[in-house]
Amino acid sequence: MLGFINRIIEWFKSLFWKEEMELTLVGLQNSGKTTFVNVIASGQFNEDMIPTVGFNMRKVTRGNVTIKLWDIGGQPRFRSMWERYCRGVTSIVYMVDAADHEKLDASKNELHSLLEKPQLAGIPVLVLGNKVDLPNALRERDLIERMSLNDIKDREICCYSISCKERENIDITLQWLIQTAKNRRS
Amino acid sequence: MNILKGYKKDDEESGGNPFLRLEKSAVLQETRTFNDNVINSRKCATVLTKVLCILNQGVTMNSTEATEVFFATTKLFQSKDISLRRLVYLAIKEMSTIADDVIIVTSSLTKDMTGKEEEYRASAIRALCTILDASMMQSIERYMKQAIVDRNPAVSSAALVSSLHLCRKGSGDIVKRWVNEVQEALSSDNVMVQYHAMGLLYHIRKHDRLAVSKMVTKLTRSSMRSAHGYCLLIRIACQVMEEEERSSNSVLYDFLETCLRHKSEMVVYEAARAMVNLNNVTARELQPAVSVLQMFLTSAKPTVRFAAVKTLNQISMIHPEAVTTCNVDLENLISDTNRSIATLAITTLLKTGSEASVERLMKQISSFMSEISDEFKTIVVEAIRSVCVKFPRKHHILMTFLSSMLREEGGFEYKRAIVCTIITIIEENPDAKESGLSHLCEFIEDCEHVELATRILHLLGREGPRSPKPHRFIRYIYNRVLLEAPPVRAAAVTSLAKFGASCDSLLDSVLVLLDRCLMDGDDEVRDRALLYFEILKQKQKALTSRYILSDLTVSVVGLERALMQYCSQPQETSFDLKTVPIETIPVGPAKSIGERTPGASVQKPGALAASKQDVYAKQLAAIPEFADLGPLFKSSDRPVELTESETEYVVRCVKHTFNKHLVLQFDVTNTLNDQLLEEVRVEVEESEGWSIVTSVPIPSLPYGKPTSTYTLLEMEDATQVSGTFLNTLKFNVRDCDPTTGEPESVQGFPDEYVLENLEVVVADHVQRVIRPNFAASWDEIGDENQVEETFALSTMRDIPDAVNQIITFMGMQPCERSDKVDPDKPSHSLLLAGVYRGGHDVLVKARLARSAAQGVNMKITVRSPDMNACEIIAGAVG
Repeated sequence: MLGFINRIIEWFKSLFWKEEMELTLVGLQNSGKTTFVNVIASGQFNEDMIPTVGFNMRKVTRGNVTIKLWDIGGQPRFRSMWERYCRGVTSIVYMVDAADHEKLDASKNELHSLLEKPQLAGIPVLVLGNKVDLPNALRERDLIERMSLNDIKDREICCYSISCKERENIDITLQWLIQTAKNRRS
Repeated sequence: MNILKGYKKDDEESGGNPFLRLEKSAVLQETRTFNDNVINSRKCATVLTKVLCILNQGVTMNSTEATEVFFATTKLFQSKDISLRRLVYLAIKEMSTIADDVIIVTSSLTKDMTGKEEEYRASAIRALCTILDASMMQSIERYMKQAIVDRNPAVSSAALVSSLHLCRKGSGDIVKRWVNEVQEALSSDNVMVQYHAMGLLYHIRKHDRLAVSKMVTKLTRSSMRSAHGYCLLIRIACQVMEEEERSSNSVLYDFLETCLRHKSEMVVYEAARAMVNLNNVTARELQPAVSVLQMFLTSAKPTVRFAAVKTLNQISMIHPEAVTTCNVDLENLISDTNRSIATLAITTLLKTGSEASVERLMKQISSFMSEISDEFKTIVVEAIRSVCVKFPRKHHILMTFLSSMLREEGGFEYKRAIVCTIITIIEENPDAKESGLSHLCEFIEDCEHVELATRILHLLGREGPRSPKPHRFIRYIYNRVLLEAPPVRAAAVTSLAKFGASCDSLLDSVLVLLDRCLMDGDDEVRDRALLYFEILKQKQKALTSRYILSDLTVSVVGLERALMQYCSQPQETSFDLKTVPIETIPVGPAKSIGERTPGASVQKPGALAASKQDVYAKQLAAIPEFADLGPLFKSSDRPVELTESETEYVVRCVKHTFNKHLVLQFDVTNTLNDQLLEEVRVEVEESEGWSIVTSVPIPSLPYGKPTSTYTLLEMEDATQVSGTFLNTLKFNVRDCDPTTGEPESVQGFPDEYVLENLEVVVADHVQRVIRPNFAASWDEIGDENQVEETFALSTMRDIPDAVNQIITFMGMQPCERSDKVDPDKPSHSLLLAGVYRGGHDVLVKARLARSAAQGVNMKITVRSPDMNACEIIAGAVG
């Protein structure tokens, strides 16, 4: 009985003020995807992380917004499966290690080949250049250049430089995501 | 969606099963709902159940479909619904082998396995272990170790069982490292954890005999709480006892006995069954087991009664006297409502009861014969077979019963068991022959099994002509020619020809019938009919005996090989059948009634399995030294032990006879693990009439690997066939590391070891053959070469003893069952057939009579186309 009442309440909530959004977090290994999830979910930053084997599913509630987060492992063996988890999501968040210059080209190729998938047409993409607290890290402008983001014209795309360690730009990121979700719905 | 609603409606209205008649494509369509943005847990649970349902009903998905469903299922990890999550685990397990990229859920499952939600953990472990590949093992090792010793028994059990599965999947080496954790789990309070830990521990150690034995001894002393654990321990203990010497392990035997007094029925039964299955168990040792089984017979639970009666049935085959104490209780079970119990009770009683009760029991069993399954009917047939051997006078009632069973519906295995039993009865008991043959005739009138029909026709051809009224079988046989499939028609034609060959009165009619078969549509049938027709028309005894009454005596595998060789290397001369090795007739009791495995006696060697001799022939042919010896004539049946079996070096010898040579094959086993033997050979001392040609040594003989060395002897004198040889084993010894087998010393030292003497006897030169019609073969050879001798055999106790000894000395095959002696008669005639080295047929007639003074008098007549063979065989006895 209680479950039934709860379900009704949930339904009312969702009718009036609850926003739902679904994000998929991809990017090469060791770019900080799981760390990012932890930071926006619980505000905790942990430097020692084990590689994600497969995916993690997290639900985060921020105010009246519930965010479903699919955090997919970035090792080469999982890259072919990114697309399956990007289908039908509100936005794709693409994480880049802005301080690791050597891997930028690989990262660029993976992003472009992912976005070529017809199933993912029109889904907004947010590229995040992580680890800007480190020296030599690229800022937005350079990153856009290196990742050839200007070539992507068929969808909404945005790029931010963030630092999970210093909590830099995390809030702006979230705001962009929520705003994009609202725009898509209306 | 529509389908789903339809099912729901159906469900509510009629209470029917919504999971009946599911369509794969429809279910696959429904799984798309897993990808919805908002998950409806109830709906998803229903769909997932359907997926599991169709998978378990045997519907196959290809890997694309399975992968699609699998990835859709992984989306359900977002739901927190407990029952849905557990279904997800199940689906992962089911699809782990058919879908691709299943490792994608590793991280999620690892999280659940170590998470706070207790209800997820056990199932997550089980699912995780099905998707792991070897490369991922390392990353979860830490979690598995923790899970094994977890406080939650469900988690601990799941981890232990999953580890066992991982071992089977080939990750045994990693699981071995968790042995300390498993040991800790073994002392858990929870009975299931204890049981699973024991199972895993045994699996880890099972290749290490010492460790297993240690573990068993330790566990039998500690008292476990788990009844399942006890059962497993009993099984392991039995295995240990089987591997070790029985006598040295009375501790384990005592353990079994204490288990008979355990409070759990399961453990008591397991212990009783284990005792029954021990090797060479005596009736007295069985007594405690029988008495607990007797108690079980009166149990209120049908399963317990069934188990007890089944095991007693098993005992009654080897030790019927041990079960007689239970007869009263078994009588009560005859009317048990459970037919399986009743059947087993009756068949047990048939084996243990007295002759007087046979009639009553048969009546009882026929009242519900139609209600039991084929498997149990076969058990009944087996029981009847052993009763027939025990009480030959009851053959009439049993035969009637069997023939009525033959007429009823039943599968092939069941029918075959009946036919085999009837044939055994006919062979064992001459009084039953007439009625048995006529029952079989009735049966082939309406028999759908080709194999059985041909077998019966063959039997009719052999036994029919010698019955008082052979003509009455002709109609049945000719009906087969008119009505049946080609293989049966061919068998029928052969059978007809045998009647024509053996019974002069029927010859003309048979010729008429064969004449009609000449127009048959099948090649084989026509060929056979023509051959027999032409031979019979000649009316020559020798011809008919040779081509109709005698069977093929050569080994089929050997013939095939010889023909292949002949075809591949064309020669001037024509193919000689005498060069083909003769089929070895298995020595020992051919009738295996009352043996441990009643099922095995039913199975005749249908397929052409290569005999031991064929295997030897192949091995010898591979050795270049023996290439030009010609075909292998005979290999001795069993290896002769030239050492005690407990010594440092075990040597056994097999004798291979060739046309003019003898090859001695010495199988040498090195039982010392700190020695490596080199240049191993057996030195044979020459004896008169024999000369050593060559020997093939073993270059290197490591510990525990039996290898063969050969010595080739030439027989110079055709009349000198027996001899005694002195043998010495010579070799070089090098010390080596017991564990690795690496030699430690560079140079070895020579050593030798005296072996027992080896006897070569007449029987080594003779191969057994069956002559179905001895008289005809006897006449065929004629009295040109004949040797007659008379002996007084004073050392032999009585006629049966003499018969056995003569057969062993000569190494020939008794024909027409003349090895069965009626102990009441004062005289007996023994007919033997064989082939002497070089392919010469030899036949022996021996008349034995009890001597007035002591022992047995014997007059033997030997016939063979070769005079030398005659004399050697005649001289074999004495």
